[in-house]
Amino acid sequence: MTRLVLQTTKWIYGWRWLVLPPVVGALMLAMLVGAVVVAPREVVEGEVQRLMYIHVPSAISGYFAFAVVFAASVGLLWTRDMRFDAVARGAATVGVLFTFMMLTTGAIWGKPIWGTYWAWDARITSTLILFLLYTAYLLARSLADELDEQAARYSAVYAIVAFLDIPIINMSVRWWRTLHPQPIVVEGALPMGMQIVLGLSMLAIVLLTVWLIVLRAETEGIGARATALRAALDRREGE
Amino acid sequence: MSTAIEMRALTKRYGGTTVLDRVTCSIEAGAKVALTGANGAGKSTLLAVLGTLAAASDGSFAIAGHEAERDAAGLRRSIGVLAHSPMVYEELTPLENLRFFARLYGVEDGEARASMLLERVGLWRRRHEPTRVLSRGMHQRLAIARALVHDPRVLLLDEPETGLDAEGLALLDAELLRAPSVTVLAATHQLARTAEWAEARVTLHRGRIEAVEGTGVMAEVATREAVRR
Amino acid sequence: MSAVAAVLEKDLRLLWRHRSGWLSAATFAAISLLVYAFAFDLVGDEVRPLLPGVLWVTFLFAGTIACSRAFTDEVEQGTFDALLLAPVPRTALYAGKVLANCLALLAVEVAVMLLATILFNQTLISPVLLLDVTVGTVGYVSLTTLLSTLGARVRAREVLLPVLSLPLLVPLLIAGVRATDAALELPAGSAPWTLLLVVFTLWSLIASALLFPLAVER
Repeated sequence: MTRLVLQTTKWIYGWRWLVLPPVVGALMLAMLVGAVVVAPREVVEGEVQRLMYIHVPSAISGYFAFAVVFAASVGLLWTRDMRFDAVARGAATVGVLFTFMMLTTGAIWGKPIWGTYWAWDARITSTLILFLLYTAYLLARSLADELDEQAARYSAVYAIVAFLDIPIINMSVRWWRTLHPQPIVVEGALPMGMQIVLGLSMLAIVLLTVWLIVLRAETEGIGARATALRAALDRREGE
Repeated sequence: MSTAIEMRALTKRYGGTTVLDRVTCSIEAGAKVALTGANGAGKSTLLAVLGTLAAASDGSFAIAGHEAERDAAGLRRSIGVLAHSPMVYEELTPLENLRFFARLYGVEDGEARASMLLERVGLWRRRHEPTRVLSRGMHQRLAIARALVHDPRVLLLDEPETGLDAEGLALLDAELLRAPSVTVLAATHQLARTAEWAEARVTLHRGRIEAVEGTGVMAEVATREAVRR
Repeated sequence: MSAVAAVLEKDLRLLWRHRSGWLSAATFAAISLLVYAFAFDLVGDEVRPLLPGVLWVTFLFAGTIACSRAFTDEVEQGTFDALLLAPVPRTALYAGKVLANCLALLAVEVAVMLLATILFNQTLISPVLLLDVTVGTVGYVSLTTLLSTLGARVRAREVLLPVLSLPLLVPLLIAGVRATDAALELPAGSAPWTLLLVVFTLWSLIASALLFPLAVER
């Protein structure tokens, strides 16, 4: 059974260059058109609300990428296969990107609406902490080179602790915010047009995330192999 | 005769470099084996793997019948290790160090054993001074005592002569290298001295066993051709 | 169990030998109080709402820096290898170290609370508060001790370990301060802060104890 799953995954993975770029490209194009042109204009907030189509999916991607980091870290500790470390590093880099996007779109969106770039909204604050966790993970990992198994294991342990901590962090930040009056956020059901475009954006950005993780993981893996070859060459030369 | 150390295709890779390449070797109980080879041949790595301080990438090994994969605790109880660093607490006195390690290993009557060992390594008079004020040679003597505190059957020593004066070397020989019924695998650069204590010699070259001489050791030897490639 | 006792005794003895280091940590904490007093003008009765925050920030900063030395010193000295060589479960090594650090930090924290009581003229020593602080200390010590297995070759280690641990400790900080608010009869909202504190500490202890062997395995 596991063999079948592995074979299928490998087969699917083999098609990634052919399938993912055009699909992601098409979806992103559709999303852009949808977000800028097709989606209805929000009555209260105006054009700036269109940032939602990047802001919300970016948040999802940020957490999704961390789940990948977590899974890869578990894989590394279980199998000692350093390819999992490359995946973890790749996913972490992508996660930093998307959490950063979520934070900046949130700030740009927030200024005209709340009058301030940062309103300590629970979700954005939690995402800021996630951003810091990613940064901490990458910092810890970068202290040694890509081949260092001890450093990889340490970072994997850190990623696992962080991933398990995230729900607790989010909950505590949310409780903390209940102590103060929240800024008014537009709630309630979105009109159908917005929902469709939002769904499209989610799909587009999540697939983009997957594609970027694949690319980064492979790049990290190749980088590690290059370092290994260079080390082997040095060893040869030294004899 | 029973086998004290059994290595089966032990391999250690670091990144893309193979530091130990399918090392297969059997060492009889009670044998005194010198491990030789140029710098970077893999001596320290082999000792680290056997001492469970580094994980093998492939292959397996057993010491005193304890398989590394299944019975690591039992294996650790059977080995005494001397590495490059003395592995003692600088802020504690020699006596406190040995008392602690004796307790950690569950040695019966650890206090008596600690005192006895300190006397044997010649540190009795300095036993209440913090280790950090002692000389390098005395650190090494304390390390020897630490390695012996739980009366191990097998000794894994990495260049144990380092820092020792003539008296210290005599101590090393008496307590470790020539100790009766103890199996010794010691990496050393001091080839002239090996004649005094070693019954066998294993030479490593680029992570593979290049030569085996003497009694008490059986190993798969890589031919010169294979090694050069 | 006896392994834990042996490790604990060793660590307590090392703590005592390193007491100048711990006195520095305590002094740092005391100076922090002064710094906050000057920076936030903590004079008079209106100080009270700010005190829980001042206390917990002091504890966390001093504590994470002090704990970051937990295993890194051992790794540097090479004694960590000696510990790994022993036929004892890794968790025993972890438990002894955590217990020793908790005791040391609790001593520092009580001293800080006494000093704060005097400086700010507020009753801070109460059973509930001490309980909250104890639980919180176990919480952050268990995590930072796990993270202190980072290793010796790291240059910016002193700064890096707080950077790694503080984001993880946000729930502890939030819950600790609010639980202290409640203990001092300050407004703290309706969320069950003490429960969150206890849950976080339990989680931190269990997760760190389980992950420690994985982090140090070779």
